[in-house]
Amino acid sequence: MNLAQVLNGLALGALLMILSSGLALIYGLRGVMNFSHGALYMLGAYLAYEVTSQGLSFWLALILAPLGLAIVGAALELGFFRRLQRRSHIEVGLVTFGIALVIDRLIVIVWGDNTLPVRAPKAVDGTTNVFGTDYPTYRLLMIVVAIAMAAALVLWLRNSRVGLHIRAASHDTETSGILGINVDRVSLVVVMLGGALAGLAGTLAAPYFSVSPGMGQSILITVLIVVVVGGIGSVGGAMAAALLLGLVQIMGNVWLPSVAVLVPYALLIVVLLWRPTGLAGKRV
Amino acid sequence: MTPLLEIDDIYASYGGALVLDGVSLSVDEGETVGLIGRNGAGKSTTLLSIYGVPTVRGEIRVSGKALGKRQYEPASRGVSLVPQGKRIYPNLTVEENIMLGRASGRKGAWTVARLKELFPNLARASGRPGNQLSGGEQQMLAIARALMAEPQVLLLDEPTEGLAPVIIDELIDALRVIQEAGTALVLVEQHIRMVQQLATRFVALGKGRVVTQGAVGDLETRAVQQLVAL
Ligand SMILES: Nc1ncnc2c1ncn2[C@@H]1O[C@H](COP(=O)(O)OP(=O)(O)OP(=O)(O)O)[C@@H](O)[C@H]1O
Ligand SMILES: [Mg+2]
Repeated sequence: MNLAQVLNGLALGALLMILSSGLALIYGLRGVMNFSHGALYMLGAYLAYEVTSQGLSFWLALILAPLGLAIVGAALELGFFRRLQRRSHIEVGLVTFGIALVIDRLIVIVWGDNTLPVRAPKAVDGTTNVFGTDYPTYRLLMIVVAIAMAAALVLWLRNSRVGLHIRAASHDTETSGILGINVDRVSLVVVMLGGALAGLAGTLAAPYFSVSPGMGQSILITVLIVVVVGGIGSVGGAMAAALLLGLVQIMGNVWLPSVAVLVPYALLIVVLLWRPTGLAGKRV
Repeated sequence: MTPLLEIDDIYASYGGALVLDGVSLSVDEGETVGLIGRNGAGKSTTLLSIYGVPTVRGEIRVSGKALGKRQYEPASRGVSLVPQGKRIYPNLTVEENIMLGRASGRKGAWTVARLKELFPNLARASGRPGNQLSGGEQQMLAIARALMAEPQVLLLDEPTEGLAPVIIDELIDALRVIQEAGTALVLVEQHIRMVQQLATRFVALGKGRVVTQGAVGDLETRAVQQLVAL
């Protein structure tokens, strides 16, 4: 495996990291596996396409798409998660699945079902020499932005007041409420943040993979696996698992291309057998 | 004078059967009330009703004003709970657990420094995660966390459960300091001795109803002991 391949693994891992940490946060607060997370990511990518195809800067898309997805997140929380919080996980999970289907359809209606290109901004469109290997500058940027985002998220969760409330509420909602934490408000913050992170991931991915309907579904499975491998509900675990999966996936692509699609599942099985509660291993 | 906390004829259930069948309890400013009764009598449910944990019918008032349905409201109005089983967050440090008390948004005289003075064990354990504490330390932490919310009335649900006698003595000393600070207490206890040492009044529950109540001195009388049958 050469350096470029390792970096590709990192780029994939970095995307998975932003997506899975949002998913893990939402799971922690609302106890729901958000099956629409892939659709939110895809919507982010399409918003990035829309912004850039209007002739506006990609950098602007990097701000607008997450903002737009934060609003979609707020709608999800207020319209569904909050109202359905006493329903079973299966029921709410099915609802999010339905939401994903609706978003998928809307995207096809608005943008059609062709693959659409998104150009990386000029400044990062070339290649950069990394230890003697020429590597696309945009992908380096992607890795840097995603890892910086993940680090900022961890620091914020560790050190801010809201972060403390999030960590408490995702461990034990009832006790948090008794202590005076407004769990609904914390949850709104978390779902909006999860949406924004999905939007950011989609925007970052757009110039790399191009945008097409179906990009949401295909990444969703991988993200779900990352969250389970990381230890359901654990943000740190999800981040570690995302990087691991990114690297293992690329190794699979290089060495066993004919079965590489099975790599995430293989990793899932290995981790679940070896450590049933996932890498972070705190909760089942 | 309006009582600080009034639980007025409440009925509570966890989905199915009625667990509280018309319970009333009122607490005045600065006083300590012992809430006693056998296992399953409904003591914890009475306290948890204030936070809407079971389904509750009937009114609960704080300083004369009815509580709404929001779970975070009692804490913000000066009613804090030290729950049975302590409910310390194992994933958070001692310091972080204490800071959660600030979620009530109330201002007052309790600071982390003062709480560590009250509970020296916590000062020593300060950076450790909640799951690395002894039972006694967890109990002190649960009380410190509740005090950080600056309550006017502190509800303690079996704070001595599972603690060694020496630790219980430390706990009694700490509770005296809290009383002297003017905080009212509701003390749920199986240990009659605790109620006798700290409370002026007791309310006894049996099968979801108040079976008897009176001055703590009455706890010695045989009639009361039979009713309460601890
Ligand atoms: N979460 C719950 N779901 C269903 N039933 C419950 C729940 N919690 C308590 N109960 C039932 O409600 C009744 C009263 O319980 P509660 O915990 O209030 O009693 P208690 O007086 O606090 O007892 P203990 O001294 O054992 O703590 C019991 O019959 C108990 O089984
Ligand atoms: Mg109890």
